[in-house]
Amino acid sequence: MVFKWLDERLELREFKDHFLSKTFPAHPTFLLGEIALFSFITLVVTGVFLGFLYEPSSKMVALFGAMVPAAYASVVRIDLLPMGMIIRRIHHWSAMIMIAAILAHLMRVYFTASYRKPRELNWLVGLGLWTITMGGAFTGYLLPYSKFSVTATSIAYYIAKSVPWIGGWISRLLFAGTFPSDGTVPRFFFIHVMLIPIALIGLIGLHMLILVKQKHTEPISNKSKKEADGGRRLIGIPIWPEQAAISVSFYFFLLFVVVLIATYIPLNPIETYGPPSPGTPVMRPDWYFLIVYGFLKLIPGDLSFSILGGKITPETIGGVIFPTFTIAVLALIPFLDRVKEPQNYMANPLHRPFMTSFGVGGGIFLGMLVVAGYIDVLHIAPQRMLVYTIVASIGAWGISYALLRLYNKKRKGGG
Amino acid sequence: MVDERAGGKHTNSSISRRRFTLAVVIASIAAAFGSLLSFLKVLAPKQKGGGYVSTIKPRDRLVYARGSNTGNYINISSLNTGDAVLAYPEGKTSNPANLVQLIKLDEKVYKSPTHLNLTDQGLVAYSAICTHLGCTVSWVENRKTPDTSYTECFCHNSIFDPTRGAKVLGGPAPIPLAQIGVKVRDDGTLIFTSGFTGPIGPQV
Repeated sequence: MVFKWLDERLELREFKDHFLSKTFPAHPTFLLGEIALFSFITLVVTGVFLGFLYEPSSKMVALFGAMVPAAYASVVRIDLLPMGMIIRRIHHWSAMIMIAAILAHLMRVYFTASYRKPRELNWLVGLGLWTITMGGAFTGYLLPYSKFSVTATSIAYYIAKSVPWIGGWISRLLFAGTFPSDGTVPRFFFIHVMLIPIALIGLIGLHMLILVKQKHTEPISNKSKKEADGGRRLIGIPIWPEQAAISVSFYFFLLFVVVLIATYIPLNPIETYGPPSPGTPVMRPDWYFLIVYGFLKLIPGDLSFSILGGKITPETIGGVIFPTFTIAVLALIPFLDRVKEPQNYMANPLHRPFMTSFGVGGGIFLGMLVVAGYIDVLHIAPQRMLVYTIVASIGAWGISYALLRLYNKKRKGGG
Repeated sequence: MVDERAGGKHTNSSISRRRFTLAVVIASIAAAFGSLLSFLKVLAPKQKGGGYVSTIKPRDRLVYARGSNTGNYINISSLNTGDAVLAYPEGKTSNPANLVQLIKLDEKVYKSPTHLNLTDQGLVAYSAICTHLGCTVSWVENRKTPDTSYTECFCHNSIFDPTRGAKVLGGPAPIPLAQIGVKVRDDGTLIFTSGFTGPIGPQV
């Protein structure tokens, strides 16, 4: 009934026949990107709730007889609402899960070489999505304006300020003056609730559009079936109704898991941290910043030098140059690992010794930096940890390369 | 003939017209974005204080910066060897650059480059703002051998030796914490006797 009414006006049948009957290749790892997308939806919905109640100001107000920043007071009030704290935790947990899903998705695309021609552009869009999501997580950190938030943001402020030549200007632009000052919270709030969601929605749309236009890569197992069929069509399941049913139930299952986690595992308990005050608690950032955090701990303090009147400090190297370099290397990959013919099947990682071992080594390197974030607990000296990190990552690279070469030699020899 | 010439001219002029239009479009975009640059200046307000600038003056009295005694005078009788507290100058507690860590150790453990003339009865005070990225430093107390206690910043684990002028023992901090003079008054309360001996706050 409703469909008929709408169809007569909007010609929906055309859309249904053209778009909804498209095929989506089935593979369990294809759900990783969906987890990221679904987490984003949860973030938007919970974010709307929080945005209605949050007060973006660091001016001092009275709360239960004490003077605290207005932002902090409003978050304490949110926590006191029925379900308020759960919503806030769902928001924070979804952000952590979204970034985890993005990274897993990125690894899947990397190891199956799905970034190759013609999909270079979507690889770049994906990297952009990751970077902007990190920006969202970073600006969200400050908003509760607890002691933890302010310390973490203060560290980022000095990292921004340490950039040679333009650091002072960049830090003042990003933090609306010096930090801490009253300009920062409104600016971060606007970036967090307006610019970043708009950029994400736009880029997610582009990511999807390119995906629909280019079609998804297929598991290599489809190749023989397709050749037998003689067709160019994708093998998989139609978007409507099969894939839609899978996605919808998958979304609500994911939501169920997130709500369960948020209910039982506390996160960012701002009442425990308290409002900003002298003294810094023993603190560690959320897991996705541990890479940069670990790098800052490893890098020797006296590693600074001057060029062209600008001073390159360890903070710039660890907090700015290293992340930029990592993203740049990833962005270059599809242009270095070039192929002449468009590739539409996932590659088998075992058949690509160089790229796979490079990915393994790089992954171990980033993993070791996360461990380096815990050297104070593990009682390892930074210099020693630096050696471990280098040995482990280069070792993992070399060993996995040698093993894969051996495997491929045997495979080809046998075949 | 005339028509042909006109046609030829027309073709030529249409190319240059297209180029001209393109140049105008590019110029207008460039001009508009150029004018936007002035907005960037508005969006990045001038620095107000210019980093950490301490307002401590000699004779300012030391008060507790945190805990249940916040704002009360610190008295030497309440400090044991191996203790350290965070302190502010009285009435100047809104400026984090004024935050100091007051440490009490055995008088004899202090060695150069500690400024011994700025210590009194085993008390020494250093800026509490880490020279790495501006976190507040903490005191890691060794109860069995108080003199081996040390100052650590828990953000990135920079470690400072309080007996040697807060020299950097480990971690990413680039320079020692600056020392500041303290003295015990007759009633046991404390006053500052100097300014900081060096730069304070993050060295960026």
